[in-house]
Amino acid sequence: MANTIELDIRRQDTPYSPPYWQRFSIPHRRGHNIVSALMVIREHPFTQEGKRVDPVAWEFNCMEEVCGACSMMINGRPRQACSTLVDSLEQPIRLEPLSKFPVVRDLMVDRSKIFNDLKRVRAWIEIDGAWDIHQGAPRISPVAWKENYLYSRCMSCGCCLEACPEYATEKDFVGPAALAAVRLMNSHPTGRYHRRQRLHAIMGDDGLSNCGNAQNCVRVCPKQIPLTTAIGELGRQTSLQLLRDLFGESE
Amino acid sequence: MQTSIHNRHFLLRRLHSLFGLLPVGGFLIFHLWENSQSRFGQTHYNEQVVGWLQGINYLILVEIFFIALPLLFHAAYGLVILHGSQGNWNRYPWLHNRFYWLQRLSGIGILLFLLFHVGWTRILGIWQPEIRIDLFSHMQELLINPYLFLLYLSGLLLAVFHLCNGLWTMAISWGLTTSVEAQRIWFYFCMLLALLLGALGLHGMLGFLP
Repeated sequence: MANTIELDIRRQDTPYSPPYWQRFSIPHRRGHNIVSALMVIREHPFTQEGKRVDPVAWEFNCMEEVCGACSMMINGRPRQACSTLVDSLEQPIRLEPLSKFPVVRDLMVDRSKIFNDLKRVRAWIEIDGAWDIHQGAPRISPVAWKENYLYSRCMSCGCCLEACPEYATEKDFVGPAALAAVRLMNSHPTGRYHRRQRLHAIMGDDGLSNCGNAQNCVRVCPKQIPLTTAIGELGRQTSLQLLRDLFGESE
Repeated sequence: MQTSIHNRHFLLRRLHSLFGLLPVGGFLIFHLWENSQSRFGQTHYNEQVVGWLQGINYLILVEIFFIALPLLFHAAYGLVILHGSQGNWNRYPWLHNRFYWLQRLSGIGILLFLLFHVGWTRILGIWQPEIRIDLFSHMQELLINPYLFLLYLSGLLLAVFHLCNGLWTMAISWGLTTSVEAQRIWFYFCMLLALLLGALGLHGMLGFLP
């Protein structure tokens, strides 16, 4: 086992300045993940040549792969920095910011596009109100609950969007994450009342049909969300919605 | 009320997808089967195959509305879809990512091949009636040239791949296959179909050689 951990990090000082690379070398310790390695650099911000530099800026939060904040390109793949163990990686480890979102600084990107896409597809559930409606909670079959649970794990980390060849900064494709949210909300017992609005939203410009079925999303998703199944199911829901729009509602 | 049928984008995409299978894909299968009869020889091919086709009622309308226009729409809108893809062939070396790119590259390849293929047979035949009368010899002259044979072979393989992979993605887009298992089984079926169609087309090409 090597005594040091070598990291190549893509730096960028401001959103508009050009990026540059710096190499850092830190003492090896068992069990390091990328976040803890970046913390060591932050404590001792010297490049391999011994030049003192600004500490690397990056985002992290939960340290247990549920918040989605620490997404970055690690050796060319979009991953969560907190759950990526250094010992499982080839060195030097290349760290880059996600390429499909505007860089704020170093490894920090502005992922607000994801939130806008969730709003675009109405990825929420409208409750009746804050008053008591004298009814119990709506019932969900264990089978449906189990399937929905898979989708509910999405943490908007952006890995699927990074890997998607149709998702791009200058294009407005809604992306697999928001589509999976539509799949989840449409099957919710209260959420299904706005199913048609959500389907119409993803049947609009840059919606579901922009998907090119490269299926990278499902492979890079750190939460193993069946994104391509969601896309297939939405394909079916929109096909049926198209028939309803053309020939009228059946119920 | 703004609904899906008032949105051009969704309808165009679905129409593009549908036209790829019907009539364009259907025509390709028919075309390959039809030309595989080249193995029966010159007389049979010129009289039974080409002669029968040329005797179809409203042939020119069928050609324009069931082959040319849908094909042109599929090709033109395909080029629109092509625009602005931002991906990486090498970064994600998985099969369907590679096929995503091949689907787009083959589309361009087929378009270039068809310009030559249709131009040199159907369009040229308008002015040169001897091509229509003896298409077998015309094709033999073309395919006997090893470079043109390779060109035809690549055109054939690209078209077959494009159809069969398109059939696979179409099943997801329209919601026929949803589960991973269903998509896998359908993928095997599509690739088997590609092999069969490739063999059928090659058989037809070899039939023209002396």
